[in-house]
Amino acid sequence: MVDRYVSDPIDLPERDAGAGYFRADLVFYDVDHSGPSYEALVFLNAPDADAATPRDDEHYAGSFKIFGHGSCFGDVGHCDVPTGPRDPFDLRPPHHLVPASKTVVVTEAFKRLVAPGDETMTVTVVAVTPGDGPNDVLKFDRVRLLTYS
Amino acid sequence: MSTVPPSPPAIPARLRHRRSADALTAGQLAEVRSAIVAAQAIDDDRGYQSWAGVHGLPLPVYCTHNSPLFLPWHRAYLYFFELALQDRVAGVTVPWWDWTAGGSEGLPAAYADEQDADGQPNPLLQSPIQPSGRPPGGPSETNRNPGQPGAPPLPTRAQVDAVLELTDFMDFQSQLEDLHNGVHVWVGGTMGGIASSAYDPIFWAHHVMVDRIWRLWQLRHPGSGPPAALLDRALAPFAMTVRDTLDVEALGYDYAVTTAAVRGTG
Repeated sequence: MVDRYVSDPIDLPERDAGAGYFRADLVFYDVDHSGPSYEALVFLNAPDADAATPRDDEHYAGSFKIFGHGSCFGDVGHCDVPTGPRDPFDLRPPHHLVPASKTVVVTEAFKRLVAPGDETMTVTVVAVTPGDGPNDVLKFDRVRLLTYS
Repeated sequence: MSTVPPSPPAIPARLRHRRSADALTAGQLAEVRSAIVAAQAIDDDRGYQSWAGVHGLPLPVYCTHNSPLFLPWHRAYLYFFELALQDRVAGVTVPWWDWTAGGSEGLPAAYADEQDADGQPNPLLQSPIQPSGRPPGGPSETNRNPGQPGAPPLPTRAQVDAVLELTDFMDFQSQLEDLHNGVHVWVGGTMGGIASSAYDPIFWAHHVMVDRIWRLWQLRHPGSGPPAALLDRALAPFAMTVRDTLDVEALGYDYAVTTAAVRGTG
């Protein structure tokens, strides 16, 4: 099953045309991993990309994979992630379902698809769950582009 | 007056080598299978089912994923599991599954064959799952669905090489964990979820591969490792800290693609 996300246009900072980037990352923050396992395919400037878009498409930038918790195996509330400030004397490990950050290295696609002077870009994420899994697996708070030169 | 029994004689330190599952001699593979069979027959905390249950079900879920402790915790886990097998078959080590080998079936034959060389069911193909290790309504035996539609491809050697090039431990660990996640999804079935994945015997070979890549990274980037703030973190339920996991030779093992030995003059 497939879940899709297409970002709003991401404003790109003005760049010197001569500046070279040695690495570009897309960081997905607060990714939910409480459900089934899946792969999230990432495309740049391809709002129509879907599960049929091949990995050798020029807009394909990489993927991240989620090894999912599956479902809740405890009693009521077992999988509720605590919210609010944490007591500084609480030395227990973080809750097992604290959302994850996933970094996809997109350097080559970024160099190929985003020219100096481009003002925006979009990110499309196609989450594919093998088999007959649910199709609403993709949940994250925000995606950020990081470039290094 | 009671007397204290003498300590057993110290065993000379000799590293044990984990080998590729695709390059085991017939005898080495038979030892791995014997150890698994023997551990499956033990119904207490020395047994296979108990060790498999440490990762996911029964609760608590101890494994660390999406965590800075991912690599150290799983190294500790493998260490204690391997010792439990060595209690059954002295000197046995858990082999690694080279996902990049590119075989047509993906899984190593040692773990995918229906039968062993003697025509007995292959204990590395499938495992029971104890009732407390199953999600509600889950199966009583492990199953796989390798490479089913929608699954990511197995990692390539180029992807592993790219991960090995990363110089920052946390960056390396994050990217290696992502390759690891994809292999879980590729195998599918029991391996596809945290709850029961460690009951599948391929789980251990998969994680030995992950651990091996970390070892290779350590050799390529001497002096690099987890940040100091992590070093004294405990790796529950194991009596180990992150620092304790950094030196595989101190844990008594290392990696080799193949090994072969012959008796000397003694």
